[in-house]
Amino acid sequence: MTKQLDLLDIQGNVVRAFGRFGYPVARYVCINIKNGDGGRNFVAEVTKKVTTSVDWGPGPDQVPQPPWTVNIAFSYQGLKELEVPRASLMGFSPEFAEGMKARRDILGDIGPSAPDYWDPVWRDNRETREKDIHILIALNAGAPGWPANGKGLLETANEQLEMSYQWIKDVIARHSECVTLLGGHRGDDGVLLDYQDGKVVVENGQPTAKEHFGYTDGIGDPAFEGLHESPAYVNGRGKQIADGTWAPLATGEFLLGHIDEAQEYPPSPQPVLLARNGTYMVYRKLHENVGSFNAYLEEHGRHYPGGKELLAAKFSGRWRDNGAPLVSAPDAASKQAFDAKFNMADEATRDDMLSNFTYDDDMSGAKCPFSAHMRRINPRASLQMVRDPSDPPGSLKISKDAFDTPGALVNRRRILRRGLPYGEVKDPTRDDGNHGIVIMMLNADINRQFEFVQQQWINYGNDFRAGNDKDILLGNHSVDDRFPSKAVLQVDPLGDEAPYILSRIPRLVETRGGEYFFVPSMTALRMIAKGMIDPT
Amino acid sequence: MGSISGNAYALTALCPIRKGIVVGEEIAYSDKVRDNLQNWNILPNSPMAQVPQTYLCRYFVLDDVYTESLSGGSAPDTLNDWLPVVPDSIRRSAMPAHDRLQSSYLVFSCNLHGGPKGDVDSYLRGMWNAISGPIREAWGYCYGFDQVTDAASFVTYMHKCMLPATLFFVGSNDDPLPEQLKALYLKQEFSRFAVANQGLDAATLRANYKSFIQRVAPNALSFPTWEPGKYQP
Repeated sequence: MTKQLDLLDIQGNVVRAFGRFGYPVARYVCINIKNGDGGRNFVAEVTKKVTTSVDWGPGPDQVPQPPWTVNIAFSYQGLKELEVPRASLMGFSPEFAEGMKARRDILGDIGPSAPDYWDPVWRDNRETREKDIHILIALNAGAPGWPANGKGLLETANEQLEMSYQWIKDVIARHSECVTLLGGHRGDDGVLLDYQDGKVVVENGQPTAKEHFGYTDGIGDPAFEGLHESPAYVNGRGKQIADGTWAPLATGEFLLGHIDEAQEYPPSPQPVLLARNGTYMVYRKLHENVGSFNAYLEEHGRHYPGGKELLAAKFSGRWRDNGAPLVSAPDAASKQAFDAKFNMADEATRDDMLSNFTYDDDMSGAKCPFSAHMRRINPRASLQMVRDPSDPPGSLKISKDAFDTPGALVNRRRILRRGLPYGEVKDPTRDDGNHGIVIMMLNADINRQFEFVQQQWINYGNDFRAGNDKDILLGNHSVDDRFPSKAVLQVDPLGDEAPYILSRIPRLVETRGGEYFFVPSMTALRMIAKGMIDPT
Repeated sequence: MGSISGNAYALTALCPIRKGIVVGEEIAYSDKVRDNLQNWNILPNSPMAQVPQTYLCRYFVLDDVYTESLSGGSAPDTLNDWLPVVPDSIRRSAMPAHDRLQSSYLVFSCNLHGGPKGDVDSYLRGMWNAISGPIREAWGYCYGFDQVTDAASFVTYMHKCMLPATLFFVGSNDDPLPEQLKALYLKQEFSRFAVANQGLDAATLRANYKSFIQRVAPNALSFPTWEPGKYQP
């Protein structure tokens, strides 16, 4: 029997990226608790409104799709204030207990990404008890049925968002002796707000799935056992097994209390009911230096054979307009062919064209460079590379039998991505506007999954035979002129072209805030609210 | 022979440390040796950076053998678990005893360029001539080290302590150290050249390349180059 998940016990944001389900706007609020008793009462009231992962439907036995969703997560400090027993607290991971700020050297949050420059609400977190972020509440709002027709969607969504915000403010007001809404999120023109807004990027009045550099985002989320998706959903999203076909990843890579890829239960706090069906969430606010990106793309786009849009695709691994993977459409001609097929295709075929691919035929990096964002965050089977000394330089081959499955090196480094862009680009020549993305990454093990990818694959290049070179888009590129950042765009080893070197890559993305959170199951939430956690 | 791989030599020496208390301080000799070694971390660079032909090395103080489980577990023991024909007391007395070291040891493990014949003696002479002071800081409390007064006696002493342990750490390419350091320097400079000259026309490229070669002087091993032990630009 295939795995069944208790969808009513799992919070909704774990299984769904709300942005793709008709919720184009979001608001994130940070809350500080003044005393445990009152904090628990507050949590109890919020829990009644928390959205689960249940399948929505109109039937009498079903839960209708709500116009706005609520999800809640706790920092380590928050669990402590809510008086979760010390023996339970000690079972959470060390990095969760430390918090994201303290991990800055592992994450590469240095220079302009250092916590000193974060939004005040994140910068002042973990300094004094009064300004600790204890609870994160995520509100997503929209109009069920999107993206059928963008017209009127955003106005409706914003109305619903204000209603959801009014609801949480009312709850906070009713518990005002015990909880505070923490302000200090930077908005437009540096104004400090009591919340962080997220919203889809609008182009020509239409909502898009893009972010502010122009890339189509949110493609290729991992597929794991228990999700209610079509069988074809696993292709490209799950793991490759020995015969090359795709299977879903073990649930325990993304949810505590379930078997993971190592055939074990992931390390979790006690008791089991506190951890099961919960997960860890990494919240990061990433500012996008739109001016630097556009200027850099213009400058190199002039020299790059193949032109500016191909170059932009090389930064990411996908073409900006529709997310076509470079391995399927490595040049203008093949992109045209891809587009023709894509535009005529139905949703399932489109999905397959976007997600179902490997780097098996691109071991030289000539199609998708080794430092392209996509290849760095999910190398698929391509890390198993060998080269015969007699082959021309740059001709790497895949070593199919190096490990027992093609996905062995990458299956335990996958991450669920949630969140939305924030802000708007008013002047595309400037960096200092209010624009970026809020990303919330979900995984069962922050250190093995998120921190590993961040440190080893985004900010370092050794596994890709790229020395110190970083992920072109996300890497913490050097701001010191003496040690400029670079990346190589590989070419066919047997061809006549020289590789193209991207020199002096500016820092395109800067961290402006973040923290590690725990997303409990509904059961755990109710137990936390009742103060009924017994780790013995 | 086990300690030679191509031109690389794996030198491993276990040097017993005398039992005693440092005069005027309440610290054992072995702990003092460890303290001296840890103080090298505060120096601008390791003293070993001054020793010619050193690829990579490690020092540590070994207090005792490390055990993770009880001895036993061979076939007769397993058999006995299934069919206990031998009385427990006889079985226990027949089990191997725990091994213990009779003293602490200074362990020096080093990969060096020894040439095809593994000439470790030249290396050790070069080591004494470069850093006899730090050598005394590390080895001064070892048994028999009072007999060491010069390079020759240092070589004799080390031969007494060497083991064919074949501990190769480094996938080095076998060339003498100065060649490897020059190669590292040239690689870095050439990468910068490639970046700076990308896309230029042939004539300019040729002229720039000529200046580049003059500046980096590939055949001049000693300068310009990457200094031994240097670990950041």
